[in-house]
Amino acid sequence: MKVRFVLPAAFAVLAGLSTQVQAGPVMDQIKTDDSLVCLVNTNSPGFSVPDSQGVYQGFNTDFCRMAAAAILGDANKADIRGIGFSDSMKTIVAEGAHIASRSITRTGTRDANPGMRFVATTFYDGQGFMIPKKLGVASAADLNGATVCAEEGSTTLLNIADWFGDRGIEYRVENIADKSARLQAFFSGKCDVMASDRTALSSDRLLAENPGDYTILPEVISNEPLTILSRPDASLETAIYWAFQVMLNAEAMGITSENVDAIMADLENQPKGIVRLLSAESAAGEMAQQIGLPADWSYQVIKQVGNYAEVYERHLGTETTFGMDRSGTVNALSKDGGLLYPDPIR
Amino acid sequence: MEQTVLTPQKSPPKISRLTLLRNRLFGSARDSVLSVILLLIIATFGWIAIDWLLIGAVGPWGDRDACAAAAGACWPFLVEKHRLILFGTYPWDEQWRPLVASLLLLGGVGASMVPRWQDARLIWLWVGLSIAFTVLMRGGVPGLDYVQPERWNGLPVLLMLSIFGLVFAFPLGIVLALARHQDQLPAVRAIAVMWIELVRGVPMIMVLFLGLFVLPLMMPDDITLNPLITTMIALVIFHSAYFAESIRGGLQTVPMGQYEAADSQGLNWLQKTRLIILPQAIKVAMPGILNTVLGAYKDTSLVVIIGIHDIMATAKMSFSDPVWQRYGLEAYLFVGAWFLATCWCLSAYSRWLERRTS
Repeated sequence: MKVRFVLPAAFAVLAGLSTQVQAGPVMDQIKTDDSLVCLVNTNSPGFSVPDSQGVYQGFNTDFCRMAAAAILGDANKADIRGIGFSDSMKTIVAEGAHIASRSITRTGTRDANPGMRFVATTFYDGQGFMIPKKLGVASAADLNGATVCAEEGSTTLLNIADWFGDRGIEYRVENIADKSARLQAFFSGKCDVMASDRTALSSDRLLAENPGDYTILPEVISNEPLTILSRPDASLETAIYWAFQVMLNAEAMGITSENVDAIMADLENQPKGIVRLLSAESAAGEMAQQIGLPADWSYQVIKQVGNYAEVYERHLGTETTFGMDRSGTVNALSKDGGLLYPDPIR
Repeated sequence: MEQTVLTPQKSPPKISRLTLLRNRLFGSARDSVLSVILLLIIATFGWIAIDWLLIGAVGPWGDRDACAAAAGACWPFLVEKHRLILFGTYPWDEQWRPLVASLLLLGGVGASMVPRWQDARLIWLWVGLSIAFTVLMRGGVPGLDYVQPERWNGLPVLLMLSIFGLVFAFPLGIVLALARHQDQLPAVRAIAVMWIELVRGVPMIMVLFLGLFVLPLMMPDDITLNPLITTMIALVIFHSAYFAESIRGGLQTVPMGQYEAADSQGLNWLQKTRLIILPQAIKVAMPGILNTVLGAYKDTSLVVIIGIHDIMATAKMSFSDPVWQRYGLEAYLFVGAWFLATCWCLSAYSRWLERRTS
């Protein structure tokens, strides 16, 4: 019986040798299975939520699709699995999935775990506070004596304790586990302040009867770099990291999923940078050969998923219910004052 | 001397329902005031409910934009999301499989409720149903694609955990009750007492966590247990203790004479228990058993805490969709209606059973 499994593997190794590609075992497994298992959150509005057909959609989900488009040439070959309580990091370490795009904060102790690798930070979030405007408070430092609504058992409470404790601010916590009940308590005035990640706050604010009555304070009291997690495998990590860089570069160069076909058709007359990004004869092709990707990987990522701005605007931007204006935030490109710095593809 | 005064036999006076109602509600001035106040309160809440459910609501085939403007319920939400609530992330084109699987289980429950069929055939029915359910849901056989258990959500998960959990817990409960209700085998008795008292002494959540985290540790390395299976094992362990206590209550009502009569007929232990003792015990224990069934069925939704997506969790998913996130109440109403309907059927059955046996 074993022969059935050994033979394809042997062929894969032979095929690999002939083109001098040395992919890692996880990368090989993805290609043999022709499917990339990607973990997402089961219920995180804007980031990953099943649509009416039960298919996960959202910002994080699109990075699963990005990886599948780059490695397998087809974004739909991402096997996106919602994972609940059982920790996605544990699943990665136990080799139960290939990557996780699940708003996982990259921290020192997590990164020290040899069973997993943080690859590319797709979103910079941070914990903040929402208050009713009528409270007349301009800064979180003025919140002395306030009642704070926060999620039970989350790091949110620890961050609040640290931040308020350092400043000697007195506060009281209203500990409510259920999100709907927590929001109800906040909107009805049972607590003065709602604490959570700022992205969550901006979507929660829209659930108020008059969203204009509420505001999010400028203080960001924690750093939450939300990062794609991968199994340790040099070629898989490289592929994901550079697929993400392709999306950033495409945005910087103004290439979108809409116009990429026109640009490809007229590639000779394009600026050198675009040629390097898209041409199989240039930097992109060279990288494809060395990492073991399809020659048109960068084109497929842009065509099937889009550039970073498209993904952001599709799920979180001003046109969506979240209405999170990206300009001027840390999630803008570095040339616009943000933290997203497109590494050169050459 | 005692004297008995015989009053002439009189048929009860015929009072129309209206008079009866008037006498009861407006018999005195105080009663009238209380009745008026209560009726006003009921009318107000009734009006609010009707206004929200019907008058201010958007009809099922309206569109989402109309919902944003409406003051009442948004029924298009349920038209859009009912399949997500019922079957979650199960592949869209394959959703007939969880539908058939759920209907099979409900049919199995219906068949098991018919008193004439309650004999050894039920064992085969449930063995057959568990195989059919697993094959349908999991696939991986010719004609049915494999669907990994992470995608099993919603109604079939609720039914699987509650129904299979109860079906497997029931025989185990009988064994535990018999083990506790005897004194020839003290060691077996001690084990049964420990099992029952330990399980009844901890909350269900703890048993669920034990199933999720501790059970896999006790397995050999090369066996990875699916969380659904470990949860079901935990539920079986939990419910069996409650069944055991209900049945033991029944066993205690069977008079000693029944045992002696069975012995004098030359029946062996198994025949005696199966033919004489258990039928009488279970008949007496039935209200308690059905009470456990109802409670266990509703408690199954607690599995959402350990990340298993039953119908409550998929309802939550349905209004996490950014464009539909205002309509949580409609989603919970849908789930509430399902539980109300199924629980009502169960309690109607238990009332019928009691009338039938008394």
